[in-house]
Amino acid sequence: MIYLDNAATTPMDPEVIEVVQESMRNDFANSGTVYSLGLDTRKKIELAEEQIRNSLLIPQNYRIIFTSGGTESNNLFIKGYGFPDKKMAYLGLEHPSITQTLESFRELGNKPVSLLSYQKEGRLDGSAVTQLKKEKVRLLCLSHVNNELGSVNDPVPLLSALAEHSPQTRLFLDGVQAVGKVKLLPDMWRGLAGYSISGHKLNGPKGIGLLVFDGKLDLKPQIHGGQQQHRIRSGTLPVPLILGLAHAIKRAVEKTDEIMKNSKLLFQHLTAGLKNLSEVIPELNIRFNSSLSDNVSIQSPSIVNFRFVPVEGEVMLHHLEEKGIYVGLGSACSAHSKEPSKVLTGIGLTPEDARCSLRISFGHQNTIADIDAFLEAFGEAYRQLYSTFNRKVTHQ
Amino acid sequence: MNDRRTILVRYDEIGLKGKNRDHFINRLVKNIQMLLIDLEGLEFRVPHGRIFIHCSKESADECILRLQKIPGIASSSVGVTRKPEFDALAAVGVEWIEPLLQPNKTFKFCVRTNRADKSYPYKSPEIDREVGSRILGQLHSQGLEVSIKDADFTLEIEIGQDETVVFYNRVPGLRGLPVGSSGDILGLISGGIDSPVALYRLMKRGCRAHGIFFDNRPFMGRGGYDKVLKLSKLLNRYQLNSRLFVVPFEDIQVAIRDNCRPAHRVVLYRRMMYRIAQAVARQKGCLALATGESVGQVASQTLENLNAVSQVVDLSVFRPLIGMNKQEIINEAKELGSYEISIEPHPDCCSVFMPARPATRAKIADLEVDETKFPWESLMQEAIEKMECVELDDLTV
Repeated sequence: MIYLDNAATTPMDPEVIEVVQESMRNDFANSGTVYSLGLDTRKKIELAEEQIRNSLLIPQNYRIIFTSGGTESNNLFIKGYGFPDKKMAYLGLEHPSITQTLESFRELGNKPVSLLSYQKEGRLDGSAVTQLKKEKVRLLCLSHVNNELGSVNDPVPLLSALAEHSPQTRLFLDGVQAVGKVKLLPDMWRGLAGYSISGHKLNGPKGIGLLVFDGKLDLKPQIHGGQQQHRIRSGTLPVPLILGLAHAIKRAVEKTDEIMKNSKLLFQHLTAGLKNLSEVIPELNIRFNSSLSDNVSIQSPSIVNFRFVPVEGEVMLHHLEEKGIYVGLGSACSAHSKEPSKVLTGIGLTPEDARCSLRISFGHQNTIADIDAFLEAFGEAYRQLYSTFNRKVTHQ
Repeated sequence: MNDRRTILVRYDEIGLKGKNRDHFINRLVKNIQMLLIDLEGLEFRVPHGRIFIHCSKESADECILRLQKIPGIASSSVGVTRKPEFDALAAVGVEWIEPLLQPNKTFKFCVRTNRADKSYPYKSPEIDREVGSRILGQLHSQGLEVSIKDADFTLEIEIGQDETVVFYNRVPGLRGLPVGSSGDILGLISGGIDSPVALYRLMKRGCRAHGIFFDNRPFMGRGGYDKVLKLSKLLNRYQLNSRLFVVPFEDIQVAIRDNCRPAHRVVLYRRMMYRIAQAVARQKGCLALATGESVGQVASQTLENLNAVSQVVDLSVFRPLIGMNKQEIINEAKELGSYEISIEPHPDCCSVFMPARPATRAKIADLEVDETKFPWESLMQEAIEKMECVELDDLTV
């Protein structure tokens, strides 16, 4: 099996599995209880939190809330902060857990501001700050790394631009695709309103994530109950998952340089290989949807998104699957759901272009040999599928 | 003894079957035995065409739940077996009614007896009266009254030659005929809402409905296959012993897509499906085909197109939904439990195979011309050879 869909999820690190298993055996006590058995698990959670703070260089004035994953973190922050009438903005290319959460405010008469006209290769252009000021936007929600394109919104220059031109606008970032893939700088935390992280995107367990937010902000609780986690997100804490997440973050951060180096190598090999295939196969015309920049403050080296009209991405995906190669898709080709990816059409692709696209995302386990196998299978499947999809040969 | 329960199963149309009655009853009993096979301590008795299941108090509820999924049953009831003596019968009534009484409120009841054993010395109304008055005597002071017309509780007594059963609740069954009593059919099943309902309807007419699915892999993923398997397993719970035949269809679709008129594609696909289904039906001993088609529902289901597909087969094609409206079909799918599975979002056909404007009135002569443009006989043979057969009783699939 060759797994090239690491932006969807990642295999669990064996060390993390060990940590989770051991904790499942030993740490059953409820961390909210007052006897020593419970206090022991509580202590383990506090240590894990401390470890996460150290790994991600999170300052003490930021609070950490454990959630079920990125989707919940995004909901918890946006709903908790924005309710009911704080003006909020987004680019429109974010994960649905951001775009749809913001859209849900329409019902309250609080329509979010779309900044799609300011997008450049999937990133927010700095000139948008004037619009933010004009619209009196209180919260700007963006992906740190876009999940389909890998385009990066670099927080440090964005925060300075906001501080200078639109100081009332705070920045919230979805960091689900960033941690372990691009380097987080300590400066990022200066001024950031909130940041979300998911365990399973960085070789950790599914069902656990983080919301990190500025402790001065007063978030309205979304999950009511036993008042755990600053009363914002009640519910008994899953100790094994928290310990697993802390370990996964530690490993991901330690290995970020190594992962980036490997991803850059694979990125170059894949993009060069696809260009080469385009030359070898006359009917193949590869176009890249994501940036080919090797500057990590512009483009994550872990994601390559490209199109190959007229063959549909979903059909290509299943032909690759037959050969044990798993890749990602932004849009569906089903006769019933003809809606192409909003991210791809958002950056200006036609619906047909969007449907004929694939996303390759690397993990630390991927090698040059994986990319070679992919290129070979892709070329072969393309040759096979081209005539069926080439509408010019359609018989009338 | 008090822990034992007696379930009385009433069959539906079998009573009308004259000389074949025993055959139908045996089939129903076998079907019931199969569906209850994993429950321990069950004892079946079939005296004079009546079906009794003796079981423990604990397994009675599970039995009743499963009996509701067996075609051929009109209703079933949980009761207890007692000696046909008035005091013993009344004691059961008191035991059941007393907990239902509330202070300062009246509660109405009646007794109804069915005297299958005509040698029993009392007639039904006399038994009703004798048992009823004994119960009333004990509970009248707590607000119990008799009312034949609007009773809150009806105590029923079934007096047979070998066994007398007292019960109070009739749980309706699916009615119809026992599966297998009419023979085997082969149903064209997709992941949609209609085909499972069509097969369910035929199962209730005594057919064992096997499924045939035309698989779009590798153009579409395994999602469609998994969905059809889930639907087939759901249907199999009502019949057991059924199979799902999975036919790889992609090569045929590509050949039609690449060689024939786009407007005809859908009808040509369906003609190939019908041909393959007929060949498989003959191979597997199925006596008819079944589909979920309904007049005018989609482009391929106009009268002309239905005719154009039926024309390629000799076997009877049953279309139990032919005159039903979509909402009626959806309501039945919800009742069957297939609806939630059918609406799971899995593509059943890649858009590359769908024409922009499908012909609603394809002419057979034109279709036949299209069919000279690709080697359909050999492609069909190949598809049948590669066909996979899933035994749906196998819980591991």
